Amino acid sequence: MAARLNPLTAMTAAAAVLAITTAASSWAVSLTVAVGAVLLSAAAGIVRRVLLAAATIVVPFWLSLLVIHGLFFPEGRTVLASWGPARVTAEGLTFALEMGLRTAAFVLVLMVFSFSVRIPELVAALVARRVPPQVGYVLASTLLLAPLVAARLGTVRQAQESRGLVVGRGIGSRVAAIRLQMVPLVLGLVHDAGIRAQSLDARGFRSTGPRTSYTEVHDSAAQATFRVFAILLALTAVGWRIVESLPAGSLSAFSQFVGGPG
Amino acid sequence: MIADRTAATTLLASVASFSYHGDPGPALRGVEVVASPGTLTAVLGGSGSGKSTLGRILGAWLLGGRDGTLVGSLQLEVAGHPAGSGPLRFAGAQDDPRIDPGAWARHVGYVPQDAASMLSAVRGTVEEELAFSLENRGVPRGEMVQTVADIARRTGLDGFLHRDPATLSGGELRRLAVGCAVVDGPGVLILDEPLESLDQAGIRTIVELVRSELARGTAIVVLSQHADALTRAAERWLVLKDGQETAAGPPARILQGGVLAESGVVVASPEVIIPSANRKPEVDPMPAPPPVLTLPVVEAAAGATAIGTKPALELAGVAFGFGGRSRSSPTEDSLLLEDVDLQVVPGEIVAITGPNGAGKSTLLRLLNGLHRPFRGDVRVADESIAGVPTGLVARRLGLLFQRPHDQLFERSVLREVLFGLHPIFGTAAAERAKAALAAVGLGDSGHAHPHELPASGQRLLALATVLAREPSVLALDEPTVALDAHGLERLTAAVSAAAGRGAAVVMVTHDLRFAAAHAHRLLRLEGGRLRQF
Repeated sequence: MAARLNPLTAMTAAAAVLAITTAASSWAVSLTVAVGAVLLSAAAGIVRRVLLAAATIVVPFWLSLLVIHGLFFPEGRTVLASWGPARVTAEGLTFALEMGLRTAAFVLVLMVFSFSVRIPELVAALVARRVPPQVGYVLASTLLLAPLVAARLGTVRQAQESRGLVVGRGIGSRVAAIRLQMVPLVLGLVHDAGIRAQSLDARGFRSTGPRTSYTEVHDSAAQATFRVFAILLALTAVGWRIVESLPAGSLSAFSQFVGGPG
Repeated sequence: MIADRTAATTLLASVASFSYHGDPGPALRGVEVVASPGTLTAVLGGSGSGKSTLGRILGAWLLGGRDGTLVGSLQLEVAGHPAGSGPLRFAGAQDDPRIDPGAWARHVGYVPQDAASMLSAVRGTVEEELAFSLENRGVPRGEMVQTVADIARRTGLDGFLHRDPATLSGGELRRLAVGCAVVDGPGVLILDEPLESLDQAGIRTIVELVRSELARGTAIVVLSQHADALTRAAERWLVLKDGQETAAGPPARILQGGVLAESGVVVASPEVIIPSANRKPEVDPMPAPPPVLTLPVVEAAAGATAIGTKPALELAGVAFGFGGRSRSSPTEDSLLLEDVDLQVVPGEIVAITGPNGAGKSTLLRLLNGLHRPFRGDVRVADESIAGVPTGLVARRLGLLFQRPHDQLFERSVLREVLFGLHPIFGTAAAERAKAALAAVGLGDSGHAHPHELPASGQRLLALATVLAREPSVLALDEPTVALDAHGLERLTAAVSAAAGRGAAVVMVTHDLRFAAAHAHRLLRLEGGRLRQF
């Protein structure tokens, strides 16, 4: 199924879902999107990778949300507990929950997209639409950065373990291991990137002439229609959200600007 | 657009000097190369002789101005293009000509020693990787498909077109790198150590490819530290030492003099194979090992248990495979290693050989717990390593990785060897590290960055990190690769010394001569099992 889908369709769908989720700003919508993303990844057989990758990003973020908004939320009125300047308020916790869910939905949708899209096809689809190939390369290498960094980190860890580094289960031991691995990781990636630049130059990557694409990207009228529909839907949601948040008096003045898509 | 594929091209290079930015002295001085259509030229030299620097200048991977100061000239004479064939003169000044590496690569293809660095890293399959430079030149898709199929056939990659380049073995990767260079139809081809870490089948494919390119009129320059069958087929040799030409001329003449021995070039068997001849090449490019040292051979190694010596390393019924997610339920048909038994007693040297992709490196990674067996047991110094973290197994077993790139991670050579020594030797760690560096001939390079060392130096540095720990078992993955004659001597001495103090040595190698000369036993890994060779 994923193979027949134009990567631009998948990208448009992901972007539209993200825009609508933000515009809706409701925990129920965020939860629905998050659950939907998990179900989709399960159907595509990538649920394990998606959840693992999403968790590494979302969990630290949740913890910081809990500390910042759970303990210090100036607008909070319903105080549940307090220690000196720190006050746990119901409003703060609600805000943290909403933000946390929305972030989770965001990250999950992006992970499903980046794990399911075939990056060469995405680059090919962009080149076909006259997007500069350098932009395509940056996009592709960004999407490929996570696996690249993970692979390099894996080799550094194996090299260090083979020379006596024991990573224990304790958090202290893990932090110490991360400290030992960061400098080699960054230096290794920079070194590899320098070599890669020479190879890309020699393979004509900087050439300014017209380019072609080896990879053929599937597309159809139905997919093109879907993309237009998804963009319109997202614009409507954003427009509606802006109108909704305006004070009542300014609505008449604003409606002329959002009249188009809305 | 590619109508002038392999147009007769001559490359004339005259490097008066080339210095990397920040280096005190030049890396190359007074070197002249002429690559004429249909001829094979070999640039020979030991480690650090400037071969790779020369190759990268010829291939425009190193540019005067951007990467260093180049004084000299480069000239391309392409048949049918009389215009623009004048020499490009470099004076090391601001207004020197600038080479467009992409345009240059259409005439001069360069394949680096580390084949992996040729890849774009953004293409998901071998065919997409092969097509990368054609895409960048805007070649129509139909033509591109045809060219990719043709190159795949010539490099023996037909069966790999849909594979992810990241999953290729070392030999397959080198063929892909060569394919990426010849896909533009260059008239000149520069190959840096093209036979390194290839098994016999891989060597045959590359030699065959060199043969067919010569027949098409391509000018080929091979950079190597081996006077092997491939380089012996060259019309002309250029011998480098410390960045300077020490000899040039026909191989037969240079082989008679003493220049090669001095330069560190590894001299292999004398059979000469002419690539352009019609007969099937009897390739035997294995480097001849240095003279055999007298090793403290353990009596009747195979019957060690009978004489009561406890094995330093023991594998019993070990099975392993990738792909199975759960350790408790390995899928039998996905097993790479099915039933491996091995006993190595203290002081014994065992060599393991086998085709590319047989699981040799995987086997070594099972010895220190980087991989864990599905079945069976690994015992180091008479203790099972099941459940023991790799970091603790590392006290008794030192592993030399296949690629130094994967083993080296520190900022300086000395720091690299010092890593992990303090817990073992305490205050004596620094002394141990220096001794290990001196043993591999890197005593003076302590402050250099590991990446600045030549390939041979990186391999020896990785070896020093293993030796410094004085493990009771040494597991060495392709230890001879990238070593010149001096490096091989150091390796031989280090392995002999380790075995002499009672360490067991297991090495994986394609270098049968080295194995036959230095190992007590030679085993072959094939079909998931170890057998006597």
